[in-house]
Amino acid sequence: MKRPIDRYVDSLLRRRRPKGFAPTEDDLAVARTAIDLVAAAPDAQRPREAFVEELRHRIAEQQNAAEPPPPLPAGHRARGRRRFLAATALTATGVAAGLAGGVAVDSAASGPASPNPDTEADLKATVGTWQTVVAAADLPEGAVKEFDLGAVSGFVQRVSGRVQAVSGACTHQGCRLNLDSAHRQLACPCHGATFTLAGAPLTHPHNPHPLPALPRLPVRIDQGRIQVYAPASGALRPGNQDPT
Amino acid sequence: MPAAARREDPADGPEQPSLLPTAAYSGWEAIYADNIERIYRLMYSKVGNRHDAEDLTSQVFLTALGPLRTTASVGEVRAYLLATARTVLAAHWRATLGHQVTVIDVAGVDLEDFTGAAEPERAGRAARRIASILSGLPERQRAVLTLRFLRGYSVKAAAAELGVSVANAKVLQHRALRTAAGLDQEGEAS
Repeated sequence: MKRPIDRYVDSLLRRRRPKGFAPTEDDLAVARTAIDLVAAAPDAQRPREAFVEELRHRIAEQQNAAEPPPPLPAGHRARGRRRFLAATALTATGVAAGLAGGVAVDSAASGPASPNPDTEADLKATVGTWQTVVAAADLPEGAVKEFDLGAVSGFVQRVSGRVQAVSGACTHQGCRLNLDSAHRQLACPCHGATFTLAGAPLTHPHNPHPLPALPRLPVRIDQGRIQVYAPASGALRPGNQDPT
Repeated sequence: MPAAARREDPADGPEQPSLLPTAAYSGWEAIYADNIERIYRLMYSKVGNRHDAEDLTSQVFLTALGPLRTTASVGEVRAYLLATARTVLAAHWRATLGHQVTVIDVAGVDLEDFTGAAEPERAGRAARRIASILSGLPERQRAVLTLRFLRGYSVKAAAAELGVSVANAKVLQHRALRTAAGLDQEGEAS
């Protein structure tokens, strides 16, 4: 008579990994309650030290494989561009391939600006992919589109013939920004901060300190599609793009 | 379990506690040290078991740290980690139960907890949540859930404590969870 939901709860109580099953609505509500309760148990709180260490090693391997950490000076504009360059190199199996593949968006991409081509040409993508956010034809001059790739969401716009993408998370506390088309700016629903479409901070009510600019995201046009470079994971479904 | 004494100091570094959102991390190691516990704790609160919480935490860092430039500010990094965590958790539920059993609320309470609610505040909030789950329950249902979930009793031990058979304790627990989940309002009808 043991129902799958009982087994599920039982696993939680035995500190085991519960197995998936096809739940009813009721089952989901019960699972949710059980998770809340289990998570409140006193021994639930901190990660095991062995786990923390092991993951640190895995990340270190990943980082070493991917890139030498560039100790960049502060400065947002410069940073945005450098980030763009690095990501371009990361994606294609080399800068040349990147150009051939149609990185035609930002003159910086094809420019000779790469400060250290030898290093950057060696970079390989390990986790990111170019993901289409909107067809190039659907983003005329002056237009803005919101996109959500799961791990990354933001806004892409075309100004003066160039395509730009900025993160859609407010740099104050990470709330998701809304597009205020009437004023051509981005507005934060949480505390009312606003940004230009290019990501520069405009206002930050009740706070004397200006916010950092929105991070720019690597973007390119590839075969008529505007693509943003974003972390790949099982979670990112290509169907999830739906620019509104 | 590690001693509960090392509260103030998340895993590493004397300069960690007072990071401003606009400061920058010195590298991925600093990002990791400062956020590993936050992410793990968040994931645990959403899946309720260590195994999944560890896997999902790993995914968050391995996914997010790749493309992340460490020149981003602390606030940006945390926002990015949290957004990644939301996605990773959503994928987990799609793959296991096919429904979003729990979600990470990027703009709400999860964000507050994540970006620096002090320990007592967070503990207080957790306690209140549990209290609110249990408060609506009939006496014996509350007792069985408290014993089983919060005090780690086995079914057998809980049954003995409550003076019922093991089978009855199981039924009682099942019913209590349903009531707590808001499904059976009529309560403890036998």
